[in-house]
Amino acid sequence: MPRIFITGLGFITSIGNSAAAVEQSLRELRHGMVSYPPFAANNIPVKVAAPVRDFKTDAEDPEDWTIPAPYAVKREQLRSLSPNALYACCALQQAIADARLAPQDVSNDDTGLYAASAGSPVTLGRQLNRMNQNGVMRCPPLGVVASIAGTVQFNLVAHFKIRGASTGFTSACAASAHALGFAFDEIALGRQKRMFVVGAEDGNTETILPFASMRAVSLNPDPATASRPFDKRRDGFVGTGGAAVLVLESEDEVARRGATPYAEVLGWGQASDGHNVAISHPEGLGLANAMRRALKAAGVSPAEVDHINAHATSTPIGDASECKAIRAVLGEHAARAAVSSTKALTGHGLSLAGAMEAGFCALALKHGFIPGSAHIGELDPVCDGLRIPRATESVQPRIVLNNSSGFGGANVCVVFKQVV
Amino acid sequence: MPDAPSSDTNLRKPFAPEDEASLRESLRRCSEKTVEAAVAYRKAADPKHIPAIIIGIIERFVEPELRPRLAGECDDLRVIEDLGLDSLTMMEIVMLVEEVTQTKIENDELRGLVTIGDIKIFVDCRARGVPPPAPAKTLLGDDLRALMPIGAPFLFLDDARVSPTQATASYRITGQEFFLAGHFKGNPVMPASIMLESLGQLGVLHLLAGLPVEAGKIVGAATIFFASTDGVRCHRVCKPGDVLTLTLKPKRVKEPLAVYTGSIRVGQEKAIIAEEITLTFGLVEAPVAAHAATEPSVLSAAVA
Repeated sequence: MPRIFITGLGFITSIGNSAAAVEQSLRELRHGMVSYPPFAANNIPVKVAAPVRDFKTDAEDPEDWTIPAPYAVKREQLRSLSPNALYACCALQQAIADARLAPQDVSNDDTGLYAASAGSPVTLGRQLNRMNQNGVMRCPPLGVVASIAGTVQFNLVAHFKIRGASTGFTSACAASAHALGFAFDEIALGRQKRMFVVGAEDGNTETILPFASMRAVSLNPDPATASRPFDKRRDGFVGTGGAAVLVLESEDEVARRGATPYAEVLGWGQASDGHNVAISHPEGLGLANAMRRALKAAGVSPAEVDHINAHATSTPIGDASECKAIRAVLGEHAARAAVSSTKALTGHGLSLAGAMEAGFCALALKHGFIPGSAHIGELDPVCDGLRIPRATESVQPRIVLNNSSGFGGANVCVVFKQVV
Repeated sequence: MPDAPSSDTNLRKPFAPEDEASLRESLRRCSEKTVEAAVAYRKAADPKHIPAIIIGIIERFVEPELRPRLAGECDDLRVIEDLGLDSLTMMEIVMLVEEVTQTKIENDELRGLVTIGDIKIFVDCRARGVPPPAPAKTLLGDDLRALMPIGAPFLFLDDARVSPTQATASYRITGQEFFLAGHFKGNPVMPASIMLESLGQLGVLHLLAGLPVEAGKIVGAATIFFASTDGVRCHRVCKPGDVLTLTLKPKRVKEPLAVYTGSIRVGQEKAIIAEEITLTFGLVEAPVAAHAATEPSVLSAAVA
């Protein structure tokens, strides 16, 4: 089985639109939360969100959007883009440049793309409204591909002339971790030499507020504390959007191109809770199984784990389940591994989360740091026995895990290793 | 007929101030000239504004670097091939044209609309409440050879597309043409006279393609002869392997004369221009089926 490496990263996120900006935010624990103007109305109890910076995509017509330099999108491509597909296009451009891929490295039979998104609820809503108001034949012809769940890969595969494997993943908050895992398999099985892994979300009113009625979103109006995973007073997640892209390549391609990898992907595992459609298993059963399978696939023992980028979204139930799962898997070594949730800084990116946080893990392994878990005033006793650093540590991790959990009780864990 | 004029009149409502606001909103990415033409059209229903509306709407969807091509004479420009628009963009254009001109274009009608000129004529006919002309006919290989009174080794058309306003054709110089053996010795060059001949042949095809000239009559295949040509300029030497693209546009077609303007290009390069090519022709009684399908006013209206 070939070894598989991360050789390029692209970020359009609430904490930075480049790998360098993201790294700085992670090191300095600078968060991306704001009092979100669209939530200002008195009848909206949610006040805080973590929008992407420099883009403006709220207009119905994409030609009215603001797209920051150096990105430029032709009208012919723009008309089929949802906001998240636009972010993904920009992040993919970044990742291609970051990995120093030539055009022929992007478009060939051996290069594929897996994406994760929940589609674009705002675009779908407008499409249906227009259909009802103006008539069936008077809707934008590309309204469907700009809105349904596959919009990110439809657009990216066409615009970047991808010719290898392509599909999308819809396991909600675990979706882009699934995309990463299956992209890993695609290369491991020798079917592809290179895969782009994309996670993207609109991160606007229509993607965030529907979570409020299930009491999953924080009602805390203070941007500085609304997202505080592992804190005793946490009351839900803060929504975010954007896109993250990872370039995965086989060791042969890395050698052929003389690429400098960020990190090696050692393996991954997944398991399901078999418990509830929206609530995580109280003991973290599925997540623990996913972590065990990932460690086994990677050939790594619990004693070797230096850092876990936790899924912890700042919801009361989810964070507690994850703490139990980590303790169950690491056992006596739980107190050694540094566990933190970067969602304290970024907010929860839903389908974006897995790829974005895998990117954070890659940055940590390449540049030798462990992101702290921000905004903890009083640590929840449920975290007892875990080492949760409050500030970023300038130490070089060797083995890093990334956890992700989604609706339906889907859990994914991916294992990364430092490249020396 | 694809659509009864009555459905058009049903669509046309009085033009209220809120309609103007919504019209301006729909056209907000178009030039001011386009918006004014659309407002004027909706107020008075005068079809003279239609060309400006069509050009303005198409221009809005064309990439900025290609827009200068729309500034001059552009009826020949093919929306998809020359302006780089795909069929989905064509749908967007059609929806906006429908909305602005309060007309309706069905999917099967859309297929015949290839050039900007096609679209202008189609919408113009709709606006006037007259049936649109038959869509352009494409004639390939055997069909073309069967229709033409000229044959090998003296036919210089491979395939052609004929509409009331224009005929286009292509011919690939194979190198096997008998006259190339001597023109010139050891240096085969397509004679300019033969290139003019090929334009004349395209005129013959245009006259014979079943386009209406006069009710109940058709052009007799044995009646067509070359009459004159004027303003001929050659710009490029054409050799075996070159694909000639012929374009012929009728200026006047009235028995016994059909006057065309013609040009031949190789790719984007001008090869030959003829300001006038005139053919004589005579009319004969049409077979009954063809009679029923003809519309006498269309060709004259289209070339006016």
